[in-house]
Amino acid sequence: MNEERYILFDQYLEGELTIDEKANFEKQIADDPQFAAEFAAFRTAQQQLENKFGIAAEREAFKENLMKISDKHFHKDKSKVIALKPWNYAVAASVVILIGLFFFNYSKNPVYEDFSQHEQAYFTERGNANTTLKQAETAFNAHNYKAAIPLFEKILKESKTPEIQLFYGISLLEENQYTKAKAVFEALRAGTSVYKDKATWNLALCKLKQKDYAGCKKILLTIPQDYEDNVEVQLLLKDLE
Amino acid sequence: MAKTKIHSDQKYIEGLAANNSIIIQEIYKKFVPKVVYYIRNNSGNQDQAQDVVQEVMILLFNQAKANTLELTCPFDAYFFLLCKRKWLNELKKTANKGVTINEDAGSISESAHELVEQTEEFNEKQQLFDTMFQKLGDKCQELLKLSFEIKSMEEVAEKLNVTYGYVRKKKSLCIGQLTQWIQETKNFKSLKNN
Repeated sequence: MNEERYILFDQYLEGELTIDEKANFEKQIADDPQFAAEFAAFRTAQQQLENKFGIAAEREAFKENLMKISDKHFHKDKSKVIALKPWNYAVAASVVILIGLFFFNYSKNPVYEDFSQHEQAYFTERGNANTTLKQAETAFNAHNYKAAIPLFEKILKESKTPEIQLFYGISLLEENQYTKAKAVFEALRAGTSVYKDKATWNLALCKLKQKDYAGCKKILLTIPQDYEDNVEVQLLLKDLE
Repeated sequence: MAKTKIHSDQKYIEGLAANNSIIIQEIYKKFVPKVVYYIRNNSGNQDQAQDVVQEVMILLFNQAKANTLELTCPFDAYFFLLCKRKWLNELKKTANKGVTINEDAGSISESAHELVEQTEEFNEKQQLFDTMFQKLGDKCQELLKLSFEIKSMEEVAEKLNVTYGYVRKKKSLCIGQLTQWIQETKNFKSLKNN
């Protein structure tokens, strides 16, 4: 087994190669079909693993939901046995609503929207010529995340800065593109930029939005005390109790 | 890559990927009765139909999540064909007793067939990969599972009580092992096809 090669593949995929190494790597892909085939197989393995484990929690949630809907669909004959008179439905419905109202304020789980007041983006100074950046900033601040995403992607292709990555991640999160958002935040979190903790916080919000409360808590606990928005962290942790 | 036109029913695929209950319910309401009818007319019962539908839905979820599912035909035709073929496969497995297939000469489009083949191929690849993964040693299995669940390799290292350098290297080599097997099956297949 060509150990060096697999380590190199992994480093390339994790974006850890220097510019020269990367260029060299890509040249090898173009020139050496055997090398390219091996890399393609490596990437396939990586993607399969991502699909197998990366979304395991989501898959479980889907299965559970599916079973419920399926059972309801297939056994609906049974529920018809207890034939209710029409007015009974009204009574039943109002009882449900009353119970709903009663418990509404007591619902224990915190919701994403309570914690998703993202800061405004200020990428450009007045008169700055880089228009894509300006457009992205405007779209983001107007909460038009759908429009912001492709703009950020364009900017990141040209130069990858942690700041842009963070706002790109937040936009993805807002658009429920969890897998992508997660990858962006994970990358920042593994780095050393000033946005490291902020990325971790947003990663936790990612979990919260998907109602994975245990996962959310686990991530929150890794945020150091000196994080600038530690108050928010503590509030959310308290709500999760 | 030629970009074929995506059908507006793609919303069902997206809804499945997002675990959207309304969409799932809609699929059951609109498209499942036809499947149940078919299976019941072809040596099956209600429970078996329920299982087939569930398995197909999970398969669709997986493929949708991998972003490789783009509908080029109505969902109805595609979904029905998938369920039908799945059921016929089930029958084949247990078919010592003669089964009669009441074939409806429905007009199912070329693109539905193509799409179904893609989905079945996706499923086969996934199953093949699962078998390969099972062939790995316990250490590799555990490390890969954690790496892809947790993502942060620092945390994985901490959890396994080893150094970061070690888990990184080990992860590369474990994926490397899988890479070799994938390549071997590819070569094997191309030998077979030649």
